[in-house]
Amino acid sequence: MAEVEKVFISGLHEELAEDRVINEKDLDPEFAKEIRKYGGKNVMTCLQCGNCTGVCPISLKIDYKTRNIIKCCQFGLKKYTLGTRWVCATCYRCYEHCPADLNPAEVMIALRHIAVREGIVPPFVKIAATNLVKYGQSVKPDPEIDKIRVELGLKPVHADQERLTAVVREIQTLVHATKYDKLIGIQEEVKL
Amino acid sequence: MTEPAPQDKTVTKDTSAEPDGGRKAPRVGVFVCDCGSNIAGVVDCGKVREAAEKLGDVVVAKENKYTCSDVGQAEIIKAIKEHGIERVVVAACSPRLHEPTFRNCIQQAGLNPYLLHMVNIREQCSWVHGHEKAKATKKALELVKMGVSKAARLEPLEAREVPVEPSSLVVGGGVAGIQAALDLANMGFKVYMVEKEPSIGGKMAMLDKTFPTGDCAICILAPKMVELSRHPNITLLSYSEVEEVKGYIGNFEVKVRKKARYVHEELCVGCGVCADACPVKVDNEFDLGFGQRKAIYVPFPQAVPLRYTIDKEHCIHFKSGKCLLCAKACANNAIDHKMKDEIVNLKVGTIIVATGYETYVPLRKGVYKYWECDNVITGLELERLLNASGPTGGHLVRPSDGKRPEKIAFIQCVGSRNKKIDRNYCSRVCCMYAIKNAQIIMEHEPNTEISVYYNDIRAFGKGFEELYHRVREEYAVEFIRGRPAKLKEDPTTKRITIRAEETLLNMITEREFDLVVLSTGLIPSEGSKSIGKTLGLTTTPDGFFAEAHPKLRPVETALDGVYVAGCAQGPKDIPDSVAQAKAAASSAAAPMFAKKVTIEPLTASVDEDLCVGCGLCVELCPYGAPELVTVEKGGTKARIIEALCHGCGTCAASCPQKAITCKQFTDEQIYSEIFAALGAEDKKGEGRKKAEAGVS
Amino acid sequence: MNSYLYFFGCVIPNRYPGVEYAVRWVTGKNGFDMDVKECDEFSCCPVPGIFYSTDKDTWLLLAARNLVLAQPDRRDILTVCNGCFASLLKATEYLQEPKNMGKVNRILAQVGKKYTGIPVRSEGRRRIFEPVKVRHYIEVMANDLGIDEIAKRTKHPLKNLRVAVHYGCHYLRPTERTQIEDPNDPVLLDKIVEACGAVSVDYEDKHDCCGAGGGVRSHVVDLANSLTQDKCRNISAAEADCIVTGCPFCLLQFDNAQRSFAKDGIPVMHVSQLQALAMGIDPISLGFDTHHVSAHSLLRKIRGS
Repeated sequence: MAEVEKVFISGLHEELAEDRVINEKDLDPEFAKEIRKYGGKNVMTCLQCGNCTGVCPISLKIDYKTRNIIKCCQFGLKKYTLGTRWVCATCYRCYEHCPADLNPAEVMIALRHIAVREGIVPPFVKIAATNLVKYGQSVKPDPEIDKIRVELGLKPVHADQERLTAVVREIQTLVHATKYDKLIGIQEEVKL
Repeated sequence: MTEPAPQDKTVTKDTSAEPDGGRKAPRVGVFVCDCGSNIAGVVDCGKVREAAEKLGDVVVAKENKYTCSDVGQAEIIKAIKEHGIERVVVAACSPRLHEPTFRNCIQQAGLNPYLLHMVNIREQCSWVHGHEKAKATKKALELVKMGVSKAARLEPLEAREVPVEPSSLVVGGGVAGIQAALDLANMGFKVYMVEKEPSIGGKMAMLDKTFPTGDCAICILAPKMVELSRHPNITLLSYSEVEEVKGYIGNFEVKVRKKARYVHEELCVGCGVCADACPVKVDNEFDLGFGQRKAIYVPFPQAVPLRYTIDKEHCIHFKSGKCLLCAKACANNAIDHKMKDEIVNLKVGTIIVATGYETYVPLRKGVYKYWECDNVITGLELERLLNASGPTGGHLVRPSDGKRPEKIAFIQCVGSRNKKIDRNYCSRVCCMYAIKNAQIIMEHEPNTEISVYYNDIRAFGKGFEELYHRVREEYAVEFIRGRPAKLKEDPTTKRITIRAEETLLNMITEREFDLVVLSTGLIPSEGSKSIGKTLGLTTTPDGFFAEAHPKLRPVETALDGVYVAGCAQGPKDIPDSVAQAKAAASSAAAPMFAKKVTIEPLTASVDEDLCVGCGLCVELCPYGAPELVTVEKGGTKARIIEALCHGCGTCAASCPQKAITCKQFTDEQIYSEIFAALGAEDKKGEGRKKAEAGVS
Repeated sequence: MNSYLYFFGCVIPNRYPGVEYAVRWVTGKNGFDMDVKECDEFSCCPVPGIFYSTDKDTWLLLAARNLVLAQPDRRDILTVCNGCFASLLKATEYLQEPKNMGKVNRILAQVGKKYTGIPVRSEGRRRIFEPVKVRHYIEVMANDLGIDEIAKRTKHPLKNLRVAVHYGCHYLRPTERTQIEDPNDPVLLDKIVEACGAVSVDYEDKHDCCGAGGGVRSHVVDLANSLTQDKCRNISAAEADCIVTGCPFCLLQFDNAQRSFAKDGIPVMHVSQLQALAMGIDPISLGFDTHHVSAHSLLRKIRGS
């Protein structure tokens, strides 16, 4: 009861000033094509049946609904897809069950590509990429674990420093060649 | 242009084998059509006419505004008579449109109708080169030049007429087959109906009530079934299958295998004491496994013919030699375990294929858990449970415990509209049959709650939207828009929980139901597949038979004389099946009333001197026209059955010995066109010589 | 017999070395004595949740670099992680397109490498190549060695051990690519567990995702943990003693997440560790100390049996 009162008493004036309508200026007509460019198959054939949402483990927990994202992509409502791109677990259940043979997980991947190219890089991506160009692996080596490795009779992770340097140099060359370092913002780590 | 010496030749013989190519310098008349502004708006027809007149062999060239009109045609006839024209070239639209018109026209003027050649300067010139008028005109000039060159080499041909047997074969005894058979029989033709089940009636006999009016299916079908069985013009071959079909329109030779019932049809009166005596009980296919029958049985009480059949697989006598209880019980000595299959040979003029459909069977371990959960059933199984003469006497019960279900869910689009399983089409009837069944259940038990999980509701026909409205208003049936993602069975109560997103509410819902009905789609039947193979019928990508033209020829197939009706051609409801069956009957009746059929003479023929009997043409022909025969001189040669030949040219193009020629498309004629186009002088027989040398 | 190259990925060597030891032991002389070699130059597969998500070109390039290392010896790449398996397998499929292969090779030339695939035969002057074969540990065990062989070598059958198996997502889906098993009814991991003498219990929503993949664990760890919590609830309800999985990232997720909602969690291990136990290894070599959820009571139970 209290919630209802809150909505209707405070801040009413400003909210009523503009009509709650979506028109052309909110829509991005190239959005569906952009999605296709980055690998999300033709979203226009989605029949909005909702099967993907039904099987999605993430949709069960939060407000994000897989089908809704696809509709926003069809329609061109780019701003409504923000905030949902990084929660997909890419379990591919949606692709498995889709009757129109669409791949919503790939559409999420395409959305991530678009986000990164607009400068939105989540911290965990930067950390993993930094680890890759420094150690050749996305997970930072832990000296404690290295000790346990030796105890078990395994070689420490980077036993051969020369080999490691060669590998790291190769990776840095590749990452620099695709301009990935610039994309993610780890140029300082790439010392070629 | 050099004038070759006139040569005398027999008109009907294929002259490409003669030493000088057989050209006689015939008198060619060219008629250029303006087609209003369709052609004249782009091509300078005056120029084309002028240039045509200057070509050798051409004695007159005329231009006309609408050559196909009465005026235009009159002009052609006049010109033919005045100038003694022997070959006619009409430069106008596509021959697919007006070739018959102009053939008729020159025939009226006394010429053989096959001495016409049409040059397409509309679809293949003015309509596609609208922006380049000068180039289009030049192209039209060249096309006419080619056309004149070919026309000069045309031979007169005679269309053949074959008689048509005034009898028809109807394959499939469902509602479509029955209607077609009755219509043909009432028109006075003899009809043979072949049905592979022991009784006719098809799927319609299994249904409870029909939409949108709620008519009882078997009540409206049974009178037609009985009428068919009593009709003097219809011979019903039930429990039979078509094994082989040879021949062509008007003259089909059909081999039918009458499977042994082990009961003599003439002696059996359908009393049923044999079934009472039989000790073996098996699942009844008609009740889809919900009911039982004996090893000697009729599929359902209203079966036509009402004759018993022994199921060889389950009959004890066939397994061990013992038990003749049924034979002993029968008062008419109708039972004979020693019966054999019988082969019946028929000669018919036309064939109607009405082999119906089957319903989609859900996958094992699939999302809908059809095989794992007792309380998940298909739409057709629901029909049997609702049917008053079904296994439960019309009481809808849960398969797991026999209790009345209080909450029922329908799931739509099962096996349809699904690219993943390669069934991308809509089965057309499922929305309405689910709505219809929901209404029936609510009528019987008003305290039931029904939810329909749908993607779209397709209520397109007469009375359909009204029923959809009624079912929501009067009976409060709930419609949830979402495709169920997960079904879970409670191990003790066997109730099913369905998880689906309600896409209109934007929320994931989980609801529990006592019974779940899968509205399964329609798929091509096994009977369709086997008759399709026997006849060589093509299918569309969804697996149903392909009609000759999707819009304008809905009941004919690519094979002349073979028609298709009912769900064999595509999913449809009963009114549409009946309408299509009547259409097929009417189409089949046309050649049978005419008593003869004209076979186009544009066929292939084999020069037996050149043929070595390799059989390549037999393998390649899509119509089965060539056959290998032993000739009197000895050896095997190919011979074309003209009535089956469609003149496609595949055999002629592939014969390694160049023994086959296609009339009006001989090598000589085609090469003359090429040389005319290239502006080369075609000296006497040069074209033919080059053809023989195999120059490509 | 097939020949392989070890591909351990990032998580196992740096967080769960016990699993690495177990894999080496099971495939080595003490175990099935398979023909497996080391490759020191493998780098991160790369992680699909991060690299495939942000730039497919870079992902393909890094994956191709790993695949090239398997070319000279013509060995299959033996992965022990669902993520590595999916990443490398997807890469082999992308590389079958000549355009992709050309693009990748142009940049790989800068580090002196070229992806061609494994040559299988010659047709005239052309050599026919097959893509590098990427295998998953579970599938190799079940298909190349055979369940019977595993059962034969079980010296200490893990009787009375109730195991909840977790296949993970990228082992099963998307089916067009992985094609190891029917995603609605996978059986191989259950069969391996049973060949070791244990009981593979059925629990509700057995094939649900653990929640870690696609960057969810790194970005919104609470969301990942809530999914894991649901799974653990179902597993406890089935009274399982431990969780066995084929993916170290799922292992990491189960191992870490339980701290936030369970007092005594259910111990988790990789399938190779279970196999090693059944084949008679000294448990101290399995490095269970690196696991957050203590495996002491579990090991005692196994000892006792």
